[in-house]
Parts: sequence; C-alpha cells; structure tokens
Amino acid sequence: MSAPPIITFKAGRCDVDQSNRPWKITPDPTPGYIYMYSEDDMTHFCWRERSKPMNDEENLDLIMFPSDAHFEPYEYKTSNQPTSKTNGRIFVLKFSSSSSRHFFWMQSKPQARNGDPSWFSPRDLKIGQIVDTLLQGEAVNVSEEIAQVRGGGNGGNDDEDETMEDVEGHGDSSEHHRGGSGGAGPDATGGDVREEGAGAREGGADGGRAAGSGPTDAATVVQNFLNSLKGGQGIPTQQMQQGGQIFTTLPNLLPSSTTIPIIDSASPAQLNNLLSYLPPSILLISQSSSTSTERMTEPNAASASATIEALSSDEKKAILKRVLRSPQFHQSLGSLTMAIRDGGLPSIADALGVKVQNGGLVRGGSVPLGGGEAVEAFVEGVKKSVEEK
Amino acid sequence: MSGGWNTIESDAGVFTFLLDNLGVEDVQFEELIALDADYLRQLSPVYGVIFLFKYPTGEKANSDGTPKDGQYDYAAAENLFFAAQTIQNACGTQALLSVLLNKDGEINVGSQLRDFKEFTSGFPAEFRGEALSNSELIRDVHNSFAKSSPFVDETQRTATDDDDVYHFIAYTPINGILYELDGLQPAPIAHGASTFEEFPEKVIPVLQRRIERYPANEIRFNLLAMVRDLRVRAREIGDHEMLFREEQKRREWQFENALRRHNFVGFAGEILKGVIAEKLKEGPDAYKLWIEDAKKKTKLRAEEHKKKQGGDEDVEMAA
Repeated sequence: MSAPPIITFKAGRCDVDQSNRPWKITPDPTPGYIYMYSEDDMTHFCWRERSKPMNDEENLDLIMFPSDAHFEPYEYKTSNQPTSKTNGRIFVLKFSSSSSRHFFWMQSKPQARNGDPSWFSPRDLKIGQIVDTLLQGEAVNVSEEIAQVRGGGNGGNDDEDETMEDVEGHGDSSEHHRGGSGGAGPDATGGDVREEGAGAREGGADGGRAAGSGPTDAATVVQNFLNSLKGGQGIPTQQMQQGGQIFTTLPNLLPSSTTIPIIDSASPAQLNNLLSYLPPSILLISQSSSTSTERMTEPNAASASATIEALSSDEKKAILKRVLRSPQFHQSLGSLTMAIRDGGLPSIADALGVKVQNGGLVRGGSVPLGGGEAVEAFVEGVKKSVEEK
Repeated sequence: MSGGWNTIESDAGVFTFLLDNLGVEDVQFEELIALDADYLRQLSPVYGVIFLFKYPTGEKANSDGTPKDGQYDYAAAENLFFAAQTIQNACGTQALLSVLLNKDGEINVGSQLRDFKEFTSGFPAEFRGEALSNSELIRDVHNSFAKSSPFVDETQRTATDDDDVYHFIAYTPINGILYELDGLQPAPIAHGASTFEEFPEKVIPVLQRRIERYPANEIRFNLLAMVRDLRVRAREIGDHEMLFREEQKRREWQFENALRRHNFVGFAGEILKGVIAEKLKEGPDAYKLWIEDAKKKTKLRAEEHKKKQGGDEDVEMAA
C-alpha cells in the first residue's frame, strides 16, 4: 500500500455476539486507528493496531465498492444492553451486499459536558459523515470538513481536551483524480459536490425553457445532489444548525398575497412565459368544457403552445392565480427552501442560471453554503439577475 | 431489494386516479367528513372504507394475543386477499388493494390487477405483501402520485414505533362478514356478519369504537369511502346537475394531480424574479420591507413552534 491515508482517527474494534438478540457488543480495548486510502480508484477502509505499521499484513483492509457500505453511529438505545467498559461511542460499518457488520468504538476523549460516555460530539459525527461519504465513492476535503466543527459556531461544546492530532486529514482526497482547474485554493474541485450536479446536466437541454422539459433538468440536478448526501442520518440537521441565523423561507417570501398582484400587472409576454413553466395538461383541463375526462397525458410542445395561444388573457391569469394559491405550489416552495438550506444552493442556482456569491460555496472553502445564509444568498442572486436584465 | 416507495397523500383525488391508472374501471373515492350511515348509504354501492389515522406512538397489542376489537380469522386469510405490510410508505396503496382485490366480482379491476391477484393466490400473507412491494407496475403508479417535490427523497425512510406514523386500514364486507384488513395485524379481523347492502350501517359503529380507542385530542384521522363512480349513477337516473358536478370534481382532481407531479423549480424561480422586479420598481425600501416582513413571519412561526414543543398542547383533531 503506497497511497497516503485520506483520514485517520483513533478507534477500536468490537466483538459481536450474534447468537441472541439484542446482539452483545464487546469492545476490544486494543488501541487502534481506522484509516482510509484510495488506490487504483478503489477506496479502502482499514483498521490497525497503533503499534503496527500501515502496510502490516495483519491489518484489516477492506476494498469498498462505491455506495455498497455505510458507516453510521450505532444506536443502542433500542436494546436493553447498556454499553459497559467502553466510552460508548460506537459506529457500525454495514453493507448492502451482505449482512456482515463491523463495529468500532471511538477512542478519542469523549466530549460530553455531563460526562455521558455515549454522547457523539459534532466532531465525532462529522468524522462518521466523512467516512460515510468516502465510502460512497465521493471526494471529501477532510481538513475543510473538520475545520467546520472546530471552534465554528457550535455553541459551548468546544472544551476539547483532545487535540486534533487524533484526527488527521491528509489533504484533498481527490488530488490524484482531477486535473481540473488545479491548485488547492477556494476553487479547488476536490470535495466539490457541485461538480456532481454539473455532470448530470451535460446530456440535457439548457435549463428551463421548453415546456415541461427544462425544469426536469433542474430536478435531476437537485436529485443527484441529494443522492450524494445520502447516508448519515445527522447530515441535514447539522448543516441547518450551522447556518446560524434563520433568515426566512420561500413560502414566507411568496405567499399568495404577494404573488397574486404580480399576475394582475403582468404583460401578455410575461403571462405566456410563466405558463410555459407549468404542466401543459392543466391548460387543457381548465379549458375543457367537455365531459370527457379520460386519463390525461401531457400534450407535446406544439399543441401546448397552441393551447396557450387559444386562451384569453383573463383565462391565463385565472390559471396562474389558481396555481399560486394551490397547496402543491406552497409545499414545493417549502421543499425548495429545505434543499437550499441543506447545501443544494450551488446546484439549484446553477440549474436556474442564477449567479450567487462565491458560486454558492462557503467563503474561502469548497463546501456549499447552508442554512439561512444559503437562502439569503439565493434571493440576493436572483435580485442581481433581475437588476442586470 | 425492491425499489423505493414514496409517500402519497390520503386524498380522494389521488386515490381515484391511482386506481384509474392501474386500469380499474368505474371506481372513485369520497371523503367522509362525518360518521354518518345515511350519508354513506347515499354513495352506494359502497365497496369499502379506508380509515387513515395518524397517531403518535404504536398501540400496544393485547397481552393475550387477541385483537382489541373483533376476532382474528386466520382461516379467512386463505380465502380472501390479505397481505402483510412490508413497507411503510406503501400502506395506503395496500389498503386500497385490500378492498379492491376482494371485490373483483363486482368491480372490473382490469387485466393487470387480475393477473397480480392470480399470481399471488397461492401465497401466504407475508409473501403477498412482498409481491406487492416488488411489483414495479403498482409501485410506479403509486410513486407517480408522490407528494409534490423531487427534493425530498423519502424512499429511505423506514417507520419505527416512535414515528408519527400514518396508518391505513381497510374495512370491507366479504362472504357475508365485515372484515378489518390491516397489514400490520397477523390476520384479517372479523367484526360480525354484514351483507353488501348492510355495510354502510354496520361499519359505522365499528369505526366509532376504533376512534374511541384513542384519546380524543391526540388522534387525527381521515375516512375515504371506495364507491362506484358517481357519474354512473347520475347517468342512470338522468340527473344532469349531479353529472355536471361530478365531472367538475374530476377535473379539479386532475388539475391537482398534475400539480402534484410537477416540478416547480423553474416556475418558483420565475415567480421570485417577478416579485423582486416589482419590489425594485416600487423603490429600494419596498424590497427591504418585503424581506423584513418575511423574516418576521419566519421568526414568529419558529417561536410558536418552540412553545408547542415545550408544553403539552392539545393537538386539534382534523375534521
């Protein structure tokens, strides 16, 4: 093994007695490290005793297929067995392709103020998330990620007796892969989730114009982004908390009392533009006075624009207002807000052709903006687009 | 491993077109806003009732293994379509099919569902449940009605006892007995004799007893009756007004379903642009004021939410 590890942290193995439920998990006190490295484009998940070198043959060295495995905090609350003898922070490595499981316990100093040895600190959870993300085959800028939970606005949990030496991030995990724009500055492609989304867009039409097909691209982009986050249950909540201030939400910015007047003052061209972003079938439904309500398939673009032309201005306004008042539209504003708060800003801004500050990333970093700040950046970005027109 | 199932709303329009898209003919759903046998009878023929409820925690079973009301009928599980529930998010569709596939004498369920029923006819309940969760046809149609947006991937979520879980149960008369079909129970539960004609009167007290099992201020529930397409009756008796009303209702349902399927990212972006353009036209203060107003609303709601979580508020019962 010649590649340097991407991440290393203190952890011990556990023995598992699966003969009865709930399983009995017994920690092995031997001090060790979990570490990961990448070789020939395959990610390796490894464990060794601290006394052994990295290329010792006795070390556990698992070659991981992307997205086959997950690394998660082990919730033992559902069983009656309290953990004993360990500090209680247990992670489980589990596979989709088999039912085998490996349990590990964190050997760094526990950080709970109340002395609860089973409490996962934000740093513990972040380590788990990094490992999990690496297991999905994605690049992570480990030092950036760890920096986020160090001294960053996480409230009063920073009385770390433990120095950061127990976690080593060995730089940008994707150094060997991307030639790209080079360098390790703020624009580094390593750990740039945004790239995942951009790739998915290549095959499609440019964002958002043709009736029905444009917005689908945006959805694909966002869905790919969300898929890349899958794994740690704690991720969305954590990112939201790190946002700090709440700012506001799209449903609060766009209630019908605000949006309906826009329709009234819209020009014919603006009305047609807005209608092109709605499913064409609703134009037919609104129009039809016939009693035929056979299963509606979406009309093609030609008949859709013909239908739009056939509608009177009043009819167009009525349809738009009806949509703006609908619970479906409001629910989607809520979901869109959540997606932006959870790190989807770069993908969403990109899909809509809106420029946001720093490409939607944290200043000086390569991690997407989150929380209220992301929503604010989004609105500001749209404002700029409007001003520049 | 079967693909994912998203959650769908318990809405008459969603369920009606879900069955429609599966190839079922002349069936629709009507919401029951009150436990009124007369109202239910007016909707005849009534094939069954779907009871949806949301209750904070799982109910503990009786320690002697009997159901809380009625009796387990293990033998019946062989002779009627009863499937064990394997996936939380599929339970609505499963409840629908529990009624439907036991009525394929009276309803034209279409060739695909008929095939499915035949395919699973020899299976025990757990396997029927598996077959259902693995059916691409049924899953795809189900997912096409999934709750609005593409942003929330709910296929990974599994239910635990602690979740605020929605649960659907079907009630339907089969072979002269009123059955409660609940995929989380080990067998169909019999609630006494009931012919098809008696069903509206017989099912109401059973539902009442069910609802009374929960503290009144903690349960939210929804009742949907599965009935024959009301337009058929309107045509039979020549009631043009009724026919018109029902057609109108169908169009509204189609409108809503089209919106449910729709990805609003692009539209939302355009609306936001439109509003911002207006505010900027009005003046720099207008834009600032609009943002501040929205922030105030968000803050207020966050504070209200915090209060609710802290105290033991009563949760209002949904009508």
